[in-house]
Amino acid sequence: MKLAVFLSDWDRTEATLERLKADKMGVILVGNGIYHAVLKAGGKDSPVLSTAGASFYALADDLETRGFTAANVNSKVKVVSYGDIVDLIMKDYEKTAWL
Amino acid sequence: MGELTLGVFPSLVGSMTLDFSFRLADAAMEKGHKVNMWLSGNAVMMAKKGQKAFKDYSHNEKKMKELMGKGMEITVCEACAEARGYHKEDTPEGMKRASMDWYLAKTVKTDRLLHIGGE
Amino acid sequence: MAAVNLLFVVQRPPYKSENARLALTHAIASQTAEIYMDDGDSVVPIVAFVGDGVLNAVKGQKAMERYGVTSTEMHIKSSLMIDMPIWVCKEDMERLGLKEDQMITHAEELGADLKTKFVSFAEIQKEMEGTNHLLFF
Repeated sequence: MKLAVFLSDWDRTEATLERLKADKMGVILVGNGIYHAVLKAGGKDSPVLSTAGASFYALADDLETRGFTAANVNSKVKVVSYGDIVDLIMKDYEKTAWL
Repeated sequence: MGELTLGVFPSLVGSMTLDFSFRLADAAMEKGHKVNMWLSGNAVMMAKKGQKAFKDYSHNEKKMKELMGKGMEITVCEACAEARGYHKEDTPEGMKRASMDWYLAKTVKTDRLLHIGGE
Repeated sequence: MAAVNLLFVVQRPPYKSENARLALTHAIASQTAEIYMDDGDSVVPIVAFVGDGVLNAVKGQKAMERYGVTSTEMHIKSSLMIDMPIWVCKEDMERLGLKEDQMITHAEELGADLKTKFVSFAEIQKEMEGTNHLLFF
């Protein structure tokens, strides 16, 4: 399964994400989900970024809305546009899950 | 080009997820995809006409109408709307109201479904 | 002509939000979706409760008596009555200290033959892989 998972929250423990498995997984950080890409709570990367085998994306508009830029983003995460997200959904992944 | 169906459930005010939904729909249509949108739960208030734009609140009515003009199909959950005192006469021109089965039926032919649940 | 499988995954508890109720009512709407579909097309839903969402399946809910609203329990039983599979994640029940005898296991009083299935997350994961679309509530 090629699965694109959308995270739009920061303060929820995403127990479901930790258990999801996919042959190819993309974690797309939007809304308050972008904090997983830029914050290091307690000096550590967000556990979300440890999702095994996943690729990570963060929506540029939502980063900038919250006072961050690509320069603040964890090196594991690619900054993307709305158009890029459309391509991820329509071309790169077969299913989506908005957790 | 493909078909993308968005199931949108978050609130009109208080969450910016509806803004996300319309911007994603816009980007998909720019790329030539057909887009359907189902507004349900608290999101139905998005489709009530006569909303006043304030700078402190998201205001997507103009974008919604623009996308409908370009061919996006938007349907509102009728039961969810009626439960909120939003009746047929409050619905903007060109927008449909239907029961929940409309959304399920759309999943049959669509290439991708992005179901954006409530908060 | 197509049968499309839909997996509704409910991860939030009941009543504080409309999520679980909307998952169940949308899934139940599969019964009438054919009016919008071509002949031979159908949608086949399964509703799976995971995480704190398993709390939706605790039996003995008195939402109608206390608040005058249909309980999530009644929606789950209505689902069983129309032979719509209801799955509840066993690991999450265990994590929350819930036993099967606390849960909605059947709707025999409504004439339902189908029973609630208590499954591992691995079984839900397998269904995710096989289904056409995922709808997380």
